[in-house]
Amino acid sequence: MSTDRGRTPRSGNRALLALSHSAAWLYAAALLLPLYYLIVSSFKDNLSVLDTPFALPTSVTLGNFAKAFDDAQLGPGLANSALVALGAAALTIVLAVPAAYGIVTSPGRLGQVLEGIFSAGFLIPGFAALVPTVLLAIALNQFQTRQFLVAFLPSTALPLSVVLLVQFMRAIPRELEESAAMDGASRLKILTAIYLPLVMPGVVTVTILNLINFWNEYLFALILNGPDPEIRTAQVALPTLISATSTDYAVLAAGVLITLLPIYLAYAVASRRMEQALLQGALKG
Amino acid sequence: MARATGGRRASSRRLSTARVGFSLPALLWYGLFMIGPLVAMFVISTLDWGGFLATPEAAGLANYRKVFADEDFWTAARNSILQLVVVLPIMLPTSFMLGYFLTLRRRGHGALRIIFFTPALISLAALGAVFYAVFQPQGLLNAGLTSVGLRSLATPWLANDTTALPAIMLVNLWSGIGFTAILFSTRLASVPGEVYEAASLDGCGHWRTMWLIAYPIIKGYFGVLSMLQFLWVLFASAGLILILTRGGPGTSSTTLAYLMYDKAFVESEIGYSQAVGVVLFAIGLVGMLVIRRTFRDQT
Repeated sequence: MSTDRGRTPRSGNRALLALSHSAAWLYAAALLLPLYYLIVSSFKDNLSVLDTPFALPTSVTLGNFAKAFDDAQLGPGLANSALVALGAAALTIVLAVPAAYGIVTSPGRLGQVLEGIFSAGFLIPGFAALVPTVLLAIALNQFQTRQFLVAFLPSTALPLSVVLLVQFMRAIPRELEESAAMDGASRLKILTAIYLPLVMPGVVTVTILNLINFWNEYLFALILNGPDPEIRTAQVALPTLISATSTDYAVLAAGVLITLLPIYLAYAVASRRMEQALLQGALKG
Repeated sequence: MARATGGRRASSRRLSTARVGFSLPALLWYGLFMIGPLVAMFVISTLDWGGFLATPEAAGLANYRKVFADEDFWTAARNSILQLVVVLPIMLPTSFMLGYFLTLRRRGHGALRIIFFTPALISLAALGAVFYAVFQPQGLLNAGLTSVGLRSLATPWLANDTTALPAIMLVNLWSGIGFTAILFSTRLASVPGEVYEAASLDGCGHWRTMWLIAYPIIKGYFGVLSMLQFLWVLFASAGLILILTRGGPGTSSTTLAYLMYDKAFVESEIGYSQAVGVVLFAIGLVGMLVIRRTFRDQT
């Protein structure tokens, strides 16, 4: 800010604010422009996408959407995505809730050590282990199956899910557990009847976060689940609309919108919760 | 606990011994699908393995010798480092300043927040597809340049070996800045208001408040987000490169992460691929340590 030297701080401040204001909106415009392009292109024909990229469509037809749906076989793709995302998110919760319970209630250092092991997972980029994971799938005779992807994906989400759930569980007073134990309740009963209802907000947050990440997963879905149109996910199906020589950009844009629709619909319904989930997720990252 | 009755203590001890068991399934899952494959990567890097269905043979350090003698590896290493040293120093300070701007709650900040948040929901495949269209010869970018009289700058961005990698970096920035700015603003919002008021009374402008007061308070968090984006750029952009350029033209946009993918799944040189993976893992570890040291809280 050497240019501000000699001026009063107030006028320098005002100039800086005006500059930041323009910069923020310039970036916002840069974010919106490709999205505008995406939406208008999906209603045009390929020729006008190429000739007049900024123009609004002259007529509103859903032809591109139907063609994208057929060409990339998005019907089974979306169904597979839903199946994989829901299955993997459910499995993650089944694994992570008891794990967090074990960590919170284990005596002394044991709980800390366990939590440390899961936290260390933040430092491991799952992508690094892509090739050995393929070998594991082949060894188990499960390569390019949906069930292997469902079984695998939770491992990428466990560190964050466990650590977030631990934080929610720490807020529960331990006396609740002790008095239930006095009454003869089993540990499993204590977990499902006392802890689980109290950490439901945490379970919801973690599940939203995992559903978004699993729905959007690309490379692992491409390699582990494979390109077979019957079992591939929507994210793997979408790039098949790109062809080096004859891409129909209008159809591609429509395809992108179809795969984005479920996420943005969910966002419109539960924007606050989704923002919170993503923020908390990144905070721990 | 000290004043608990004998019966209570016994029951709670009985409870505690088996509680650890609840963590075991998750621990096993994590070991099988994450730690196991990671360890296997180191082992595979010492094998001569020409495809997933071939029989591997021990090769010692031959893969590493091959990797370090390979021109493509050094090109990929250069590209990865270039990508990191261009993207991170632009993304993080910009996001921090935008995040600070958001916390001032000027007019329109609510709309900005929503717009900044949108890229966080877009998948890598959708991002790739959108920018494939934006960068094509008759795409949005060239049309935009032509309409503002910069037609001479128009080029087939993804097919030109000097612009392919910068195009990837542009997508990294496009999708990364907004969400990172929101994260910064959330963290900055937890800084007590009195801190800013005191700064303002002392005649501090926003520039100085931002860098001399707000930044030191959230320095540790700046480090956390740096690590997050460091890992993201180093590893996750492989998927983006796969969709947009396949590492080309030639090797001009091949990064280490993409090289690891390409060698394993396109060229069937699995040992080589995993040797690159080990190098990549080491770079990731060293980078994280450096970032951690740089942004350690002094308090």
